[in-house]
Amino acid sequence: MTPGKPAWVVLVGAACSLVSARAPAAQTTGTVDLGISTVRYDGFLASGAASLTPAVRWESPRGMVSAHGTYLRFESGHRSLQGLVIGSIFTPATSHWRGELTASTGASSYAHFASFWHAIAEARVHLLGDNRGAWIGATGGLTSYGGPGRPVAAAAIGTWARRGELTFLGSASRTFVGDTAYTDLASSVHARRGSLDLEADLGARVWSRGGGRGVYGEANATVILGERTALVVAGGRYPTDPIRGSIAGRYLSVAFRMRRAPLRSLPARDPRAPLVDERASSGSSSSGARLEIKPDSGGTTHVVVRALGATLVEIAGDFTDWQPVGLRHVEDDVWEAVLRISSGLHRVDVRVDGGNWLVPSGTTRTADDFEGEAGIFVVP
Amino acid sequence: MTARRLLPALAVGLVATLLARRAAAQDPRLARLEPGTRALVAALVDSARAAGLPAEPLVQRALEGATKRAPGDRIVAAVRRLGADLGRAREILGSAASLAELEAGAAALRAGAAPAVLAELRRTRRQPLTVPLAVLADLVASGVPADSAATAVLALAATARDADLVEFRRAVERDIALGAPPAAAASVRLNAAAREARPGPP
Repeated sequence: MTPGKPAWVVLVGAACSLVSARAPAAQTTGTVDLGISTVRYDGFLASGAASLTPAVRWESPRGMVSAHGTYLRFESGHRSLQGLVIGSIFTPATSHWRGELTASTGASSYAHFASFWHAIAEARVHLLGDNRGAWIGATGGLTSYGGPGRPVAAAAIGTWARRGELTFLGSASRTFVGDTAYTDLASSVHARRGSLDLEADLGARVWSRGGGRGVYGEANATVILGERTALVVAGGRYPTDPIRGSIAGRYLSVAFRMRRAPLRSLPARDPRAPLVDERASSGSSSSGARLEIKPDSGGTTHVVVRALGATLVEIAGDFTDWQPVGLRHVEDDVWEAVLRISSGLHRVDVRVDGGNWLVPSGTTRTADDFEGEAGIFVVP
Repeated sequence: MTARRLLPALAVGLVATLLARRAAAQDPRLARLEPGTRALVAALVDSARAAGLPAEPLVQRALEGATKRAPGDRIVAAVRRLGADLGRAREILGSAASLAELEAGAAALRAGAAPAVLAELRRTRRQPLTVPLAVLADLVASGVPADSAATAVLALAATARDADLVEFRRAVERDIALGAPPAAAASVRLNAAAREARPGPP
């Protein structure tokens, strides 16, 4: 922590820089969660808390580095500060096997009297199939609760399967932290539907010596509100984590997530290019219009554009010979047309109220060879 | 002006007029281009057609430039570049590749996919490659590193249906919208790092 500055100043500064700064590389992303929670640690009274969680991640094809911190301010006035930095490298993927080496270090403190740190490394070997896989891993490291480090050793196996929008995961691990030993049996299911992302975990701690035991479960839901915002609701009961220094508890939290943008390097643009307006030039991925492509069974495609307050919406693409085609107003802010669009990759732009041609959200921006951009989408 | 100076000018004008008329006769949609641009684009389209390459993507690229009021030389350069990309795609995918496959292949190569990936897709997938190649190009345009996108598409391509591939691409988009880095969003999200990096309970 920066000397002389309270923790919340540092975290707020980090959060603001994540939200406002441009990407130093295409694969750097950041989010900030602002939330409120009620939490009841085992053996303590329930307490409300406000939280601030900035997270940043840098990713390359062969590895990633991620860091996140959480600042909690309890209603008692006490505060908790957690931070974690984790890095991972992968072996090149072969047809079925992939190796992974992960190192993480973190620290946490509560009020002025409890502090933890840990540093661990884990190696995993993944067996990958099209929609299922398995892995086996081993962990080693140190953890400390205000004193000399205690050795950490763990072994784990896991398996996963994907079926449509559902992903199932099951794992078993045996962990040794100094004199403490415990086994965790864990399962989770992850599902998606529209803008809703759901995940539920259910597990049990058994054959425990000093690590607590019992059944635990958590669930979280993420609702996408906009292109850069989401609402995250989470709750449940989690077990003591002797490695990272968290004690068992129950919680319910609601957080508003802001995502830093842009997510990728945008192509350089000529400000004289006639197609791009100020909103597009700012790097925003939003044109004020959202495009939805809905293939019909009869070989035609429903093209739907949602444009707030528009009085005229036109579309042009490689399926209209790049001639503007007016869309029919079907209800408030919703415009549509039925067109013949062949299977494959297509390029498109949208014009609202006779303004400039824009890349609609709902498509992927790409450089268009004319110092501007086009939206691309795929029709199956 | 002497006859010696006049004749070359007349000859150039005549050739340009003939090329423009030929272009208009071949594809009336190109009439939206400036005459000089139209003649050059028509020549490129003709030469692509003569080489057995699809002409429609070239026409569409020229029309896109016209709609965007791009300068003629830029339109010609874009069409020429696309023609070269289509040629590379056909070399890799084979002469039996469909128009849509070539177009998607050219987009994937332009996006940065390695030729070996296209060849591997051709080898492993019996169904048409249009959608896998289109998804590959789209993923890379989304910010997913080319080799990560290739790994993901190759892993799915052998057995997945076209609709599954499009759904996979939507899922990646959703992950990105939720804050995941594009590379992570496209890879299997079950590695240890991704699990541990999730924000946890209070």
